Amino acid sequence: MENPLSEKFGIGPFFSNFGTAVARGDWSVKLSLLWMGAGYARRKQYVKALIMTALEVGAVLFTIFFAMQYVPKFGTLGTVQAEQVFNMETMKTEWNDYDNSFMILLFSLFSFVVWFAFIAVWMKNVVNVYRLQLRAEAGQHVNTFVEDLRSYLDEKFHITLLTLPVLGAAVFTVVPILLLILVAFTNYDQQHMPPTNLFSWVGLSNFITLLGGGDSLTMGFGYAFVRILGWTLVWSLFATLTTYIGGILMSLLLNSKLVRARKLWRTLFMVTIAVPQFVSLLLMRNFFSNTGIANTICANIGLTGFLRDVGAISTTYIPFLSAPGWAHVMIILINIWIGIPYQMLIATGVLMNLPADQLESARIDGANPYQTFRHITMPYMLFVTGPALVTDFVKNINNFNVIYLLTEDVYTTTNQVMANAQAKEVDLLVTWLFRLTQDYYNYKMASVIGIMVFIVCAVFTLIAFNRMTKGDKEGVYQ
Amino acid sequence: MKKKTVRTILFNVLIAALAIFWIIPIVWLLCTSFSAYDGMNVSTFFPETWSAVHYAKILQSDSVNQFVTWFWNTFKIACFTCLISTFFVLMVAYATSVMRFKMRKPLMNIAVILNLFPGMLAMIAVYFTLKTFNLTNSHIGLIMVYSASSGLGYLIAKGFFDTVPRALCEAARLDGCNEARIFLTVVVPMSKPIIVYTVISSFLTPWMDFVYSKMILNAGIAENYTVAVGLYRMLDKSLINTYFTQFCCGGVLVSIPISILYIIMQKFYVEGITNGAVKG
Repeated sequence: MENPLSEKFGIGPFFSNFGTAVARGDWSVKLSLLWMGAGYARRKQYVKALIMTALEVGAVLFTIFFAMQYVPKFGTLGTVQAEQVFNMETMKTEWNDYDNSFMILLFSLFSFVVWFAFIAVWMKNVVNVYRLQLRAEAGQHVNTFVEDLRSYLDEKFHITLLTLPVLGAAVFTVVPILLLILVAFTNYDQQHMPPTNLFSWVGLSNFITLLGGGDSLTMGFGYAFVRILGWTLVWSLFATLTTYIGGILMSLLLNSKLVRARKLWRTLFMVTIAVPQFVSLLLMRNFFSNTGIANTICANIGLTGFLRDVGAISTTYIPFLSAPGWAHVMIILINIWIGIPYQMLIATGVLMNLPADQLESARIDGANPYQTFRHITMPYMLFVTGPALVTDFVKNINNFNVIYLLTEDVYTTTNQVMANAQAKEVDLLVTWLFRLTQDYYNYKMASVIGIMVFIVCAVFTLIAFNRMTKGDKEGVYQ
Repeated sequence: MKKKTVRTILFNVLIAALAIFWIIPIVWLLCTSFSAYDGMNVSTFFPETWSAVHYAKILQSDSVNQFVTWFWNTFKIACFTCLISTFFVLMVAYATSVMRFKMRKPLMNIAVILNLFPGMLAMIAVYFTLKTFNLTNSHIGLIMVYSASSGLGYLIAKGFFDTVPRALCEAARLDGCNEARIFLTVVVPMSKPIIVYTVISSFLTPWMDFVYSKMILNAGIAENYTVAVGLYRMLDKSLINTYFTQFCCGGVLVSIPISILYIIMQKFYVEGITNGAVKG
């Protein structure tokens, strides 16, 4: 008999299968719409029927006893302010039955996710029951429960393997991003901090603040956002390009047959990345501090005096990490120190797979090393690492460690407008966001900035993703 | 011939110069850790008087420095993270590499996109959530953050599993093995390099990380810190003059095991990749 169900994966086939199952299923399939165990019970799969029934009861209980506490308040995010009231019966001061806006937001979102998942399972269940009916009608064997269980170690083993990792990734990446988006439309900040205070929906006003509107108190945000976004992009561009090119050059040098003791050198460079960044960067920051050793050396060799004479600095020290301009350049330079060995390791891996015959034929044709590099090595590198270049760019947009460890507590902004927005000239969007959450509890603005970072990243990510999946030039180098 | 000699000398001198340049901060770290002076030495590169007294100091806890506890905390967190992440990575890698099912391609595409988004972004929301459940300032929260989405880092292991000859799996299947047994008795034993690589790299994550531990443990008490947060705190403006040398000692003590593991990991990584190439 022809199979009326589509075996393709996708949203379309999912719904059409559901439709087919409901339309063509027998009474037990239709009953499954109400009682999820019905179809299984009819085919004598009692354990499965029991499990599905339990799931359904669970979902109903969840809705009544959990979701209904929070979801009805989702529209207002709570109205009952926390207060201490004197209870005449116990003769004690007690908290009233107050609303916690954040709990309402979080658990409502959680309920939505659970309901969404439940509806998917419910639809899938009807299709499965219909499938069972088709098997039974065709006279095929209907699995017992033990056989079903066993299939999860065999042809359905991938479900066993993937459930936990997928759940983990969903709970810790997808749900938080949804939550972040919701918070951006509220006024969740230090003045509206649950449990003692409520917060509520404010529509687009946080976005307006960030884009330069808003009242005099928050005027700084628009200015700070533009400056920080600009620096974030400039930094990512420089950080990516310098380390990428530097890494390739260094790996070419290290892999050159002329160089002795290659392993030793490679290990040395590897040690510099094996030292955790919170050690090496914090060290750097003190090395280059205003009273640090680098300044002493510069003063001793007369560099500080020279710079004072030409008017490049007005202080008695070189403000390596504490003045705009200087700090920006130093951060990029220090990042070169951090980043090149990483890129070198990657580039070495790629170069090891460089097609030897192409190099050989280039040599026979009499190409000099520069020509070989220009026409063979570099195109190959770009082909293999091109998408990674975009990924690196996105990673650098979010390169928290370098900026935070080098400048936090060291760099203080003198720009009053920036300071009003709790921002500094050297901040990236993510370090700004981090400071807003950790030190100023300004969650609403942090969430809006988070969404902005998200959009910036998404644009570049999609470019990279498109290049990775389409444009199949794989054959060229095989 | 002469031109080649010149080039050889040039290249070797260049690489030596680069290596020296790159190693200066590490040398400074080592030297300063052996300084007899508590604060930062600002007048000379090498300490004026040498002494190992701060290594003794860092191993004895006081109100600020609890390095031994921090080290132990990080070790515990690293062990749990390593256990969970390794399982997750190997499970996802096997499912996507060896098995064929309808959702395989869409799932892999989603993983690519999620991988490109930095985890940093979801962090703030994860932080709110953990705070609601009182899991901030706790190690459990941190372990969850490190390991929950670790399955997304499955690509390298998948690349290796792809090279395990399918004929072996087919033979096992004909012998009546189910997928679970093929995974455990055929594929896993053949994948030693990539398993070692996965174990070490996931063990190293908590040691190398700064931002997540700072975010989660920031407001807590010193006893709960990891090495990263603890050492960062030592360089607070009010503490740096008393603790800078101890910070360097701590830095050296934590860097040595990590560097060794890192270099071993790289070896297994290369081995995994090249082994794969031979087999494929």
